[in-house]
Amino acid sequence: MKRPNPHLLASVCAVVGISAACAPEPTCTGDWCGTAVVVAFTEADALLPPVVRNDVGQSIADLLFLKLADVGPELNTVDPSTFVPELAESWTFEDDRTITFTLHPEARWQDGTPVTADDVVFTYEVYRDSLVASNARPRILHIESVTARDSRTVVFRFPKPYAEQFFDAVNHLRIIPRHLLGTVPRADLVAHPFGRNPVGNGPFRFVQWRAGESIELVADSTFFLGRPGLRRIIWRVAGDPSTAVTQLLAGEADALNYIPPDAVERVAESEHLQVVDYPSTYYSYVAFNLRDPDDHSRPHPLFRDRSLRRALSMAVNREQLVQAVDGETGIVARGPVTPAFWIWDEEYELLPFDSAQARRQLTQVGWQDADGDGVLDRGGRRLAFDLLVPITSASRRRAAQVIQEQLKRLGVEVSINELDFGAFRERGEAHRFDMFFGSYGGDPSPATIAEVWTGDGSGNYGSYVNQTVDRLVRDALDARDVATARAKWRQAVNLIVQDAPAIWTSVVAMRAGVHQRFENVSLRGDNWAATLWEWRVPPDRQIDRDRFTITN
Amino acid sequence: MVRYLAVRSVQAAAIVFLVATLTFVLLHLAPGDPVIASTESTLVRREVIEQQRRNFGLDRPIHVQYLRYLRNLSRGDLGYSFRERRSVWHAVRERIPNTLLLATAALLVMFGLGMLIGAVQAAVPRSRADDALSILTLAVYSMPVFWLGLMLMLVFGLGLGWFPVGGAVDQVLYPHMSLLGKVGDRAVHLFLPALTLGLVGAAVTARYQRAAMLDVIRQDFVRTARAKGLSERTVFLKHALRNALLPIVTLFGLTFPLLLSGAVLIESVFAWPGMGKFAVDALHGRDYNVVTGTAIIAAAMVVLGNLLADLLYRVVDPRTRESS
Repeated sequence: MKRPNPHLLASVCAVVGISAACAPEPTCTGDWCGTAVVVAFTEADALLPPVVRNDVGQSIADLLFLKLADVGPELNTVDPSTFVPELAESWTFEDDRTITFTLHPEARWQDGTPVTADDVVFTYEVYRDSLVASNARPRILHIESVTARDSRTVVFRFPKPYAEQFFDAVNHLRIIPRHLLGTVPRADLVAHPFGRNPVGNGPFRFVQWRAGESIELVADSTFFLGRPGLRRIIWRVAGDPSTAVTQLLAGEADALNYIPPDAVERVAESEHLQVVDYPSTYYSYVAFNLRDPDDHSRPHPLFRDRSLRRALSMAVNREQLVQAVDGETGIVARGPVTPAFWIWDEEYELLPFDSAQARRQLTQVGWQDADGDGVLDRGGRRLAFDLLVPITSASRRRAAQVIQEQLKRLGVEVSINELDFGAFRERGEAHRFDMFFGSYGGDPSPATIAEVWTGDGSGNYGSYVNQTVDRLVRDALDARDVATARAKWRQAVNLIVQDAPAIWTSVVAMRAGVHQRFENVSLRGDNWAATLWEWRVPPDRQIDRDRFTITN
Repeated sequence: MVRYLAVRSVQAAAIVFLVATLTFVLLHLAPGDPVIASTESTLVRREVIEQQRRNFGLDRPIHVQYLRYLRNLSRGDLGYSFRERRSVWHAVRERIPNTLLLATAALLVMFGLGMLIGAVQAAVPRSRADDALSILTLAVYSMPVFWLGLMLMLVFGLGLGWFPVGGAVDQVLYPHMSLLGKVGDRAVHLFLPALTLGLVGAAVTARYQRAAMLDVIRQDFVRTARAKGLSERTVFLKHALRNALLPIVTLFGLTFPLLLSGAVLIESVFAWPGMGKFAVDALHGRDYNVVTGTAIIAAAMVVLGNLLADLLYRVVDPRTRESS
């Protein structure tokens, strides 16, 4: 792809002889001049952490508001020694139910006020308040209390010890200022103007929000954990993936955290861009509905049969599927986990691709093509069903076609039903489908397995229930030591996979496109932007975009 | 005249009310809601979703929500945007100038270029130039507007790098530019979207203009003007062109809704931060109040556009004044 020339603006200015008046002279020099223009598919909804709901808002808010500590690059959620201190300078376990955090003495709100233990207590109260209805609320209900011992010491108490209690204490709460929000009625927080004009405590300060266009942040050069490598970050809104890729290729944006599979080659061929692979916590799966979509009190006429589910799973060649959708670097999912999880184990007992075995199993349970129409049938019922796919996901639509083709060879008729995301999600919530092509991730904790694959999980759209799995997951969550937790998770995952409540297709390949001039580029699997403040542009690679002086 | 305006105003209010009601009902009947649509692939616990629905009043029956919406609307309140977390009017008013700027620039292209092409064709009817321009305008008219936009973007944005491929301003430099620089920056960002939106309309205008001019040129008063010894230029520009404006004014009134619907597509293609793109994003996110609010504003703009066209018609054509 040809690299774009400077826009016509320079020519327009030159024609009327006022080029100097059109743009300021670039004046910034040295190590701290980098500007990153990040392009996102959608616009942030708000920047006040407890009420943020979309991923873009969360990524930006994480540069403005710190946690007490953050999970480390290995995404280990059970070992506190791997966590990276943020607002908390240090922590100690007073006993197995009490964690005491000492705040960093230099931590400041961007209006100059010190960050105190009171802010942490206030944050916990806000997140816990049902009127605020924070997405993270259910994750902190395991915490019994949060109290301030003095202005720099805050104490978290738990009713019982468990492996991820430190993770739960620090990961979900982005500390917010009591002195600015303490008097706001909780029900008003969701729409409070602070959400569009925040004062944070992180490496970047909020500058401006141009509705529908961009959000601009500028580095806090006095940030107590060290000066950010970039001087400015601008988040611009593309609206959809193809527009975002176009802006990246045209050089109007410097970074895009997810390149759709069909655009990876074009980005890789671009002279000014690099493709950066990073760990993925997302996996895609085709869930079977185990209940009748028309009458949820009855089992599904087809998928109640474990043998049928296993046969269909074995009939899908996932290597080929991943190759077709993600190319050479695609990864086959081995169950409801990805290699980014600390419980990841190469020994998970995957159901193999074996179409002959699948065919035998189907024959054994009575499925044959008695009427010769190419579709298996049993007792007058054809082996035909719907597969629900979100129209917004090009990769899942492509994968659905591959699955449809592969199952057709076995005599199984799959009708693909593409719906827009709202309708797709609602049908999932209402259990009105035969098969549901979902994708899940974003959280480094295996506790999320309980959300989708246990009896009372909110995301268990397929209504899969196995009492043994539920018990193993509960044991894993309650385990007090890492080895026990790991062993229980392994047993639970293996059992889930063998029950085949879904066909796990792929680990979603996370590939970012980043301008070549950036160095120290790293992206974390659970939150790609968490380390964005450490990116930098060396002086010899700076372009005009990096050098303009900021007047704000 | 006053009675005429009063009648048209009542009609306009009825149309806007009908649009508001239809949009509200259809949206609420469609599957999905703002809470579910905002969850992306992150799983949110069921109890949190239910609480958020209660907080937004989405758990109430549709007629209760509708009556509440009408009550707010009667006070000029378009409601609250679930995605933007502020009033719909605040969110929309930041985007209306961008849409009006795009629509105005597109109108200039549409009528400026279209009338010019049509007049040139009428001046040399059935010539090679006329045939070539007819084929060209027909070809442009046949193109889907979003496809034309993508092609222009591919050639002039990505290929030649002459114009930006998205946005309304340079996000990095704009705040630091002089006034003149800002005007220039807006102009280069506006060029491709406005050209795309205007070109298809220009093709239509050219065909109308050509036909109208050829009709007028055959009229007796044109022959009389020529017989009086007026120059061909005066006959063409002063007598023929002016009288050929009537169908173009009608076209102007009909164009406004097309421009707005075209802007929805073009704003999405070029990431233009206007009302159209806002409405599309809101539709995907089931942001009920934004979709209904933008539909009301668009309906009001269309009604006003038609009213303006009618008034213009009365100015241009004295016969309509006499008949009323």
